[in-house]
Amino acid sequence: MHALDALKTISGNLVNPYIEEWKGEGKKVVGFFCSYVPEEILYAADILPVRVRAPGCKDTASADVYFSHHNCSFMRSCLEYALEGKYEFLDGIVFTNSCDHVRRVYDTLRETCEDKFPFLEFISVPHKTSEQSISFYKDELIEFQKRAEIFSGKKAGDEGLQKAIDVYNDTRSLLKKVYELRTGSTPCLTGEDSLNVILGGLSMPKEKYNELLERLLLETGKTEGLSDYSARLMVSGSGGCEDPEYFKTIEDLGGLIVTDTLCFGSRYFWKPVEINGDLMNSLAVSYMNRPSCASMGDRVVERNDYIMKMAEAFHVDGVIYERMRYCDLWGGQILQLRKKLQEAEIPLLELEREYIFGAAGQLKTRVQAFLERLGR
Amino acid sequence: MEEKHKLLKKITDEMNGASALLAGMAASESDDMWSLATMTGILADYWQKIYDAYQNEQPVAFTNFGIPTELFYAMDIMPIVVDVLAANAAQYGLAHTYNDIASEKVPEYLCSNNTILLGALLAGDVALPDIMVHPANPCDSNMGTYPVFSEYFKYPYFMIDMPYTTTEKSIPYVVNEFKRLIVLLEEKTGRKLDYDRLREAMAYSNIVHDNVLKLGKLREAVPSPYSSMEVMAEIGIVMCTSGTKGAADYFQKRHDIIKENVENKKGHLASDEEKLRVVWIYGAPTFDMGIYEWSEKEHGALLVSQMNNNYVMKPVKDISDIDHILAGLAEKLTLMPMTRECGGPWENYLDNSIDLLRRYKADVGIFGGNVGCKSNWAIAKLVKDKIQEELGIPILNVELDLFDDRIASSDTIKGQLGDFFSMVKNNKGV
Repeated sequence: MHALDALKTISGNLVNPYIEEWKGEGKKVVGFFCSYVPEEILYAADILPVRVRAPGCKDTASADVYFSHHNCSFMRSCLEYALEGKYEFLDGIVFTNSCDHVRRVYDTLRETCEDKFPFLEFISVPHKTSEQSISFYKDELIEFQKRAEIFSGKKAGDEGLQKAIDVYNDTRSLLKKVYELRTGSTPCLTGEDSLNVILGGLSMPKEKYNELLERLLLETGKTEGLSDYSARLMVSGSGGCEDPEYFKTIEDLGGLIVTDTLCFGSRYFWKPVEINGDLMNSLAVSYMNRPSCASMGDRVVERNDYIMKMAEAFHVDGVIYERMRYCDLWGGQILQLRKKLQEAEIPLLELEREYIFGAAGQLKTRVQAFLERLGR
Repeated sequence: MEEKHKLLKKITDEMNGASALLAGMAASESDDMWSLATMTGILADYWQKIYDAYQNEQPVAFTNFGIPTELFYAMDIMPIVVDVLAANAAQYGLAHTYNDIASEKVPEYLCSNNTILLGALLAGDVALPDIMVHPANPCDSNMGTYPVFSEYFKYPYFMIDMPYTTTEKSIPYVVNEFKRLIVLLEEKTGRKLDYDRLREAMAYSNIVHDNVLKLGKLREAVPSPYSSMEVMAEIGIVMCTSGTKGAADYFQKRHDIIKENVENKKGHLASDEEKLRVVWIYGAPTFDMGIYEWSEKEHGALLVSQMNNNYVMKPVKDISDIDHILAGLAEKLTLMPMTRECGGPWENYLDNSIDLLRRYKADVGIFGGNVGCKSNWAIAKLVKDKIQEELGIPILNVELDLFDDRIASSDTIKGQLGDFFSMVKNNKGV
């Protein structure tokens, strides 16, 4: 099977053979919600970190008992899966205060099904990047590491953590190479493919993932690039925007998604963890300085600069800003981003969406009109 | 220049008029008309000073509730508490206008508290501040908008970061944030922090908080010595004018009056008229204060407390040096109603709601579910069930917008409250 096909299969399912194999070896699997959870800490403790998603979720009937319709449908879908027992392959879940909805999923699970998750954890992540906040975050990570090691029964030590950081940095470097395949005029991957590649890696051991990425780079390098597209697009916006089908719908209309600035996309891997002395400090510094989430109040300029730089590097003709309905954090960002894009004369399409993909017709109409506006 | 202050002018004029009218209606100082007139007068004076500050090029700061005004008064910077600005704009019928303007730029589901400010700024009805300061808690809507507004309109910005859970690290963390803030305020406004003035502001603030605590205890009395309107209105004074002589004098006098009333068992309503003691455990609407008066008159349903005026912070004992003062202010920010309830784990909200309902001997609780408050909508069901289980007190969840009556109008809210109050009274046989 081609590496891309293998990754596509993994991305569409909650559980995969890699997870089963890991569990078969008697090791723990722990979900995490936010990219401010350093997976390296879990991995070093012999715990497989798996990004929590709800692929294939069709309705949120159980979750709606607790969450209101004013809550993000990504979080409602994940809560639904948790309540339905679909995360029973997880031994625990790690949360952060990255948004109001996710922290309330944590509260709800503690109240309704704590017994299902022996390792229900919370990391307090600062909302700004400063000397003090990095020091605080580092302390949080140290405590988190202790709890993870007790839970797994494996003490990683500096050697183990260093190894995990190296493996994850390899992943970041390989993913960057995958993205670079799309900078030229004939990209080797569609946006849909690329998203599948990322999603696949979020639920398998990174060492095995890295092997698949290396294969993918070899295989795609031999293929002819795509040239029959009408416009080069970049997708920006909120967390939870991780449905390959959504990307496919856009691309079926002729646009090609050549890059993104999503949490489930480039922001996840764009900057490596830079080692500078103490490993935990290096993790804290690197994670707090990664391309930021909108929960970081002091980084509006950095956030918009990152979007502008990505647009330039990937030669995009237009930006699609998709956000989950009721996402206040990314809802507010658009005010300044729209202004920046206008100044740079980069056309923008704003789309609001729910996690469960519906209203494809409406999406098609909006995208079609946007492509026409781009003159493509 | 005048155009840029249209909103301030409107609020100031309305408040001055209301204050004079209420004062004329007050028969004595123990009359609730006196307290309402005095509070309105204090707020009118507050808005007038902001207006004057803009005219006289005195620095002005946008602050979000919880940010201690004492610090700003001590630096001769006028703090505009943007939440009170939004509430006052709503009271004077401007929420629709400003929300509509804002909705051209940002999603309509952001909290009206934020979008009213944005609308007023976009309309040019409020002049830009010299800086904006807000805390990291309690919600995404603040975090998603205030830093972006500052970038969009190009004014300096500072966020007081706060650890998510309150531990022994929280206060020192916030103290350090205040220290950085002071440096930035001095840099951006050219005003130096005057420690003597800070001590003076803290002394006034201590009088306010000492009396607010005592009043909170006195309000537990049956019958309640406060009118519903007074319960609603006092919050604005604490938020905007802590650290001023006017606020200190008001609360001192207010305490003396209420203490005497409680000793004489004099309630706002007579004992037999106080049919239901109501606590709004979340989000009492600000666009029509008549809702509370209507509840009293139609149903004998008296507002005895509400989450936003559940001030439990103590006066800052040691104001001899800056470190102790900042630690006191950090504690005050951490304990700020709503920041405390909504900014951390759900137990913060549940425990405080249960405490409030129990202490004030509530018959019913109302969860005013502001549509912008996603974090609390996510736990509304859990909270309601837990309260029912622990206290047996019925809770009504009402979907509304605190500032904009297009989600639920006054009549819609009254309709829901009326049905609920009637049902509870019927069940209680009162």
